[in-house]
Amino acid sequence: MSVAYSVIAVLGTLVVAFIVSLLLPGIERKFIHARIQQRIGPPITSPGIMAPIKFFFKQTINPNSPMPRLYNALPLISLLVVTVLLLFLIPQMYFVGALASVIAIIGFLKVEEVMYMFMGSLSRSVLSVRMPFPDIVKGAKHPETPRRFLEELSTLRAFRLIAFGSFPVYIALFVSVAVTGSIFLSDIVAYQQLHGPILFTVAGALGAVVFFIGYMILLNEYPFGILKAKADVIEGPYMEYAAKYRAYNYLTRGFLMFVLASLFATLFLGIAPNILNPNFIITIIVALLFPMLMAVMSAFSPIFTYKQFYPTVAAVSILGVLAIVAASL
Amino acid sequence: MDDNKEKRTVIEAEIPMGTVHPAALEPYRVRLFVEDEIVRDAEITVGINHRGVERIMEGLPVEKANSLTEKICGICSNSHIWNSCLTAEKPLGIEVPERAGYIRIIMEELERLHSHLLYLAHGSEVLGHETFAMRLFYIRETVMELLGMIGGNRVHYGASILGGVRPRCELDEMRIQQIKNGMDLLEEKITAFADRFVSDPLVMSRITGVGVISQKDALRLACTGPTLRATGVEKDLRRDMEEYDPFEFDVITQDDGDVKSQLLMRVMENFESIKIIRQAIRDLPPGPITNRSWEMKDTPLTKSYIEVPRGTLYHSYALEDGRVRNCVIRTPSMANIGAMQYACIGHHITDAQLCVVQCDPCFTCTDRAIQIIEI
Amino acid sequence: MSLKSYSRGRAIHVMLVYTGGCNGCDIEIVNCIFSPKFDAEQYKVFLTWNPREADVLVVTGPVTKHNEKPLLEIYNAIPEPKAVVAAGACALMGGVYKNIHGDIPSEEIAGPVDQIIPVDAKVPGCAVRPQDIVAGLVSALPLLLNAD
Ligand code: SF4
Repeated sequence: MSVAYSVIAVLGTLVVAFIVSLLLPGIERKFIHARIQQRIGPPITSPGIMAPIKFFFKQTINPNSPMPRLYNALPLISLLVVTVLLLFLIPQMYFVGALASVIAIIGFLKVEEVMYMFMGSLSRSVLSVRMPFPDIVKGAKHPETPRRFLEELSTLRAFRLIAFGSFPVYIALFVSVAVTGSIFLSDIVAYQQLHGPILFTVAGALGAVVFFIGYMILLNEYPFGILKAKADVIEGPYMEYAAKYRAYNYLTRGFLMFVLASLFATLFLGIAPNILNPNFIITIIVALLFPMLMAVMSAFSPIFTYKQFYPTVAAVSILGVLAIVAASL
Repeated sequence: MDDNKEKRTVIEAEIPMGTVHPAALEPYRVRLFVEDEIVRDAEITVGINHRGVERIMEGLPVEKANSLTEKICGICSNSHIWNSCLTAEKPLGIEVPERAGYIRIIMEELERLHSHLLYLAHGSEVLGHETFAMRLFYIRETVMELLGMIGGNRVHYGASILGGVRPRCELDEMRIQQIKNGMDLLEEKITAFADRFVSDPLVMSRITGVGVISQKDALRLACTGPTLRATGVEKDLRRDMEEYDPFEFDVITQDDGDVKSQLLMRVMENFESIKIIRQAIRDLPPGPITNRSWEMKDTPLTKSYIEVPRGTLYHSYALEDGRVRNCVIRTPSMANIGAMQYACIGHHITDAQLCVVQCDPCFTCTDRAIQIIEI
Repeated sequence: MSLKSYSRGRAIHVMLVYTGGCNGCDIEIVNCIFSPKFDAEQYKVFLTWNPREADVLVVTGPVTKHNEKPLLEIYNAIPEPKAVVAAGACALMGGVYKNIHGDIPSEEIAGPVDQIIPVDAKVPGCAVRPQDIVAGLVSALPLLLNAD
């Protein structure tokens, strides 16, 4: 009985999460961006649901890549990683022990980030070096220089982001560890059910701000979207994905938005994503609220280059350290 | 500062961008030579857009050639047709009626408005600020509607003809009223936008101190127009043009020569344009708008310079049997390419795109006579 | 209506390629997509700059010699089903640049567009009006919806 119950809970949660995550890009675009820009905007189903479905029905082409099979497999891997991440947030899965801990979550997020590097280094889009244009001509500057694809540039950036960009989110994760004194999700949730959500303490509030910035950096949303800044690398690592692989990318992004939000709900509000718990509605609200806030931020800011990026990350990280200090006092 | 820029030339790789690129919009090719992510050298290839307008103009009747010059550029089309008319009118001794001169000025200033607003929108887009870009396109729509109302077409309005302006472009009471209302609206909207733009700390931190062109370099690289004025040189050809004599306006200059001064420069110039249009509307003299009593004759090679939204535009041709001979056109963007390449150096790649855009490139104008030989 | 064509009609990704026109058409098209006044996104038209994502290719300009090969490459990079909209007099028949001296062919212009890639919808005008662009996109739509 209880096993069946758990299976229903896990599957149900995944399905609901999936459905909600499909709506997020549309909500972001229609209700926030379009409202701020004073236009009507697309229907909410278009960017999140209809676009992936459309891509499923497109012709699958061979991407221009030294390893096309691997390149095409990457979006599936990252979708899988995100799903597994959500899986271990669900209370019924806490029996897996070490996998349902903050350390494991950090590991999964790392994998997610490393994906960008692989994607970038495997993509060879037509828009830069391969553009058939006589570049090396009489009088051209530096004709001997090695030539780089735009995607390699974004690989370089992904590498930088792995090195420093994800600090805020990790520090924020450790705020709740510092408060509860345990890295296991089950303990963190149990602690908050006893003492009330961490969010409403000083440390928790600071941690939430840090988490939110980290959330934006992980999702590469403007202003932190230097990895896929339209002004130079166009779409960065995703450049060569077409048809259903592009659809997986769309889905992964929406899903990651939901998963990170439910991670927040778990760590800072003590509400683990579980469809059988009426509090699940709060997870959904958080999942809707975060993209909205993010969209407001991105609509009002230009893209950050490193000159703005480093100080922001440094400042936010210091805030996070302060939060941890406040938590352990 | 200048010497530092030249000194270090470790070039690791080349990153080519274009000819289709969201930041460029127009077909041109930028090759950035980078060390890590810092640009050490840049090369802008133009000539992709070369359509041979001057060659097509060779031997065309001058009236036809005039309307062809308009098709050189979809942004400053009125400047081209106006200057082309001036090139023929001067040696032929055609008196342009005063009212026609005023209407030409109105068209030119409206065009400056829409060109500058477009520039700002494109700049915001490259900055990554979609909201500002959309806002500016929305503001620009007011100007486009006015232009469409006067000329009958939103882009190529073809206002000037030899000896005046086209009858379609006559300004009656209703149109004058609309222009007046439009100017009020524009002033209000641009002011509101400028306030928000200047007080936005994120935008400001992106654009201050980026892409600096010092005054010395600007003169050395022979920049023209707003790009030159943004470095503090007070040089505006409108001051010397007799067409602009009746109007009072300030020549805006900025001191720093970075992207911020370039952008603010254009914002401020918008207000000057509004000022000029208001004066022109107020003092619009009565009378005919076309002078049709002139004789065609052969003329020697005549040069004509005017100030257009991007700088100094040069047209020259001779007339033979009423046909155009030896046409040469030089557009301001050509002069500014050096500055674009120079400004990129020493900046992050994302900023480098901004440095190119800051000089307000219009490569469709520029591309007419460059040959690329493959080795 | 099947899910396939329904979804295709609800998310149309448009890519623009400028092949050497005078900027007039180009800016009107960007205007049509960017300006809140026209806002093509309300008709489910999204702007993209990546041929792998695009469904509809909007081409302006007479296709100069240097732009011929890039245009072809970009066209080939778009996965099926795809449609091409040629916008502006230049793209339709070379405009003022092509063949201006009667029968002497231009040395600079390789176009018009339909000599290089198949064109499905033609939008006339010099410059095209933003409203016409949306209409042109709509008229190319059945091709996308009915393709398999
Ligand atoms: S059709 Fe007219 S407006 Fe469009 S690109 Fe050609 S000349 Fe310019």
